[in-house]
Amino acid sequence: MEFALQIVVNGLMSSLVYILMALGFTLIFGIMRVVNFAHGEMYMIAAFLVYALVGSLGWNYYLVVVLSALALGVFGAILERALFRPFVGRELQGMIMALAVSITLQAVAFILFGPNDLSVPRPITGVFDVGPMVIPRDRVAVGASALVVLLAFYVFMRYTKTGLAMRAVVQDEDIASIYGVRPKIIHPLAFGIGAMLAGFAGALMAPIYTIHPYMGAQPMLKAFIVVILGGLGSVPGAVLGGIILGLLESLFATLVNTTVATMVCFGIVVLILLFKPTGLLAR
Amino acid sequence: MAQTEVLKIGVVSALTGPGSEWGLAQDGAIKIAAREVNAKGGLKVGDKTYRIEVISYDDQYKAAMAVSGATRLIEQDKVKFIFGPMGSAALLAVKPLYEKNKTIAVIGAYTEKALDKDTKYSYRGFPTQTEFAGPIVKWLRSHYPNLKTVAEFEPNDETGWASQRLLKGDYQAAGFEIVSSELVERNVKDFQPVLTRVLALKPDIIELGTTPPGTSGLIVRQAREMGFKGQFVKLGGPGVPQIVAAAGKDFAAGLISYAAADTTTKAYKELEAKYAEVLKPPMNEFTVYFYDMARMLLEAIQRAGTVDDTDKVRAEFEKLSPYSGIQGQVRWGGMDHYGSNHQIITPVFVGIVKNGEQTIAGQIE
Repeated sequence: MEFALQIVVNGLMSSLVYILMALGFTLIFGIMRVVNFAHGEMYMIAAFLVYALVGSLGWNYYLVVVLSALALGVFGAILERALFRPFVGRELQGMIMALAVSITLQAVAFILFGPNDLSVPRPITGVFDVGPMVIPRDRVAVGASALVVLLAFYVFMRYTKTGLAMRAVVQDEDIASIYGVRPKIIHPLAFGIGAMLAGFAGALMAPIYTIHPYMGAQPMLKAFIVVILGGLGSVPGAVLGGIILGLLESLFATLVNTTVATMVCFGIVVLILLFKPTGLLAR
Repeated sequence: MAQTEVLKIGVVSALTGPGSEWGLAQDGAIKIAAREVNAKGGLKVGDKTYRIEVISYDDQYKAAMAVSGATRLIEQDKVKFIFGPMGSAALLAVKPLYEKNKTIAVIGAYTEKALDKDTKYSYRGFPTQTEFAGPIVKWLRSHYPNLKTVAEFEPNDETGWASQRLLKGDYQAAGFEIVSSELVERNVKDFQPVLTRVLALKPDIIELGTTPPGTSGLIVRQAREMGFKGQFVKLGGPGVPQIVAAAGKDFAAGLISYAAADTTTKAYKELEAKYAEVLKPPMNEFTVYFYDMARMLLEAIQRAGTVDDTDKVRAEFEKLSPYSGIQGQVRWGGMDHYGSNHQIITPVFVGIVKNGEQTIAGQIE
């Protein structure tokens, strides 16, 4: 029982960050039909912003989290305008462009910061002892922040006019255009919001893990698994996929080892691709 | 009138990603030695003078990348002398190339399989766990008699497997009980699930083995946060500054590690300053070994009077024993264990982290 509770808590903590990453990834795909392999680099850039502004210049961490996410939002919109716009709906070309952007951004980070693992001081330390469970306070803070961002994203998508327009574009861009939705505004907005969500994740996780130019690859892979599970382009699917992935990883890494955990996660991806290729919740 | 030509020396090692601290030690060491020689007008070999050029390829600790880098060095760059790789899987993949092409290689890699009686052109430039782990575990037994059980973490690849086998034997031989042997993928950063299971076994020691320093720091931090009050030991590659950076000063305090060098000496500080001129600091302690090896190799080339006949060069390389290294005498050894004297034997230091810095708690000859 002790183990079971700890497994669930560990799993849910990871899930929230996976969802944050996957939501941005799936939003960009849903609206632009671009598989953004540079999504992990948005995470990496935000982490390096935290390193530079908090670790080196001593700025307030919480302020920097918000600033980093906003900066990534703007950066994402610029990327869309400058590099991805010609590839809307052209999945293969868009994917290659995303790979090129990803490798270039990694190389830039490598040149600027070098290959070594870097660390930033943690703003929150210590643990909560909840019965038999041990929950690090910084992970709780990350989980709570992720939850707030996810709720804000949900409210934005569900109850604002712009959110409605974005959902309309996901369903059918041509019909949405007839009703006055302007894809030229929705596309950079979606790319910006997607990058912003990854930026939030990267900035929140920067003090928890180490920071290096290739750190985006792992969360990107997780985001990919999550959207395959939930359905590429589906926002509720990303939430469900994130929870499934987090819990499965935690369960198998605790009871067996991390190698088996990774194997099981990819095994489930294979099964989903074989038997429900659209994912659990995609229509 | 002496001509100035170019002598190319290759590096194929982990220059980026986890473990690059150790790969960059190989890269930095030969670059420092080359810079010193070039500053003096070059390396005089026979009636020619050579300017040394270092060509480096990144293997990212991966066998396939190492093969591609080593092939390029040997076939396209026509290099006869190589430093690296550092990873065991990478080394095992490229070693046949070295032997086939008679390329003298100063290798890293902890695997026992790196050297054997048929090894002719590969020389291991640093002591491995085979040389230092047993003595340090015995030191641990006598200085910390209350510690009895060990949980070990290693990366899930050839480096980690070899290290796990060896350390298990050393700990058991010294009377410790191994309660858990974990193999973790190199890209894992969240150890909470694994630690949940491991800490339930109540180990006295968490041995970090060859886990890269940054990742070791994360394990230290996460284990301490989850209530681990025992001893951390790291008998794999060094990297205390990175461990302290990732774990924090308080959590890293008391960590006992194999220390490649006494970092407080004048010679070490001077080497650090030279490293900063060729690569971005911090310098990893392994640089000390490979700097000695670089100087030895260049001297051997000079004595052999040839940059092409690697058989003559390796004969001279082996004659340079004992050699006055920057932190004491080093010599070739390993015949009893590996069947060839291609293993460098050096003094070993036991380090303990105090106030975020590594201090030397003991020296084992």
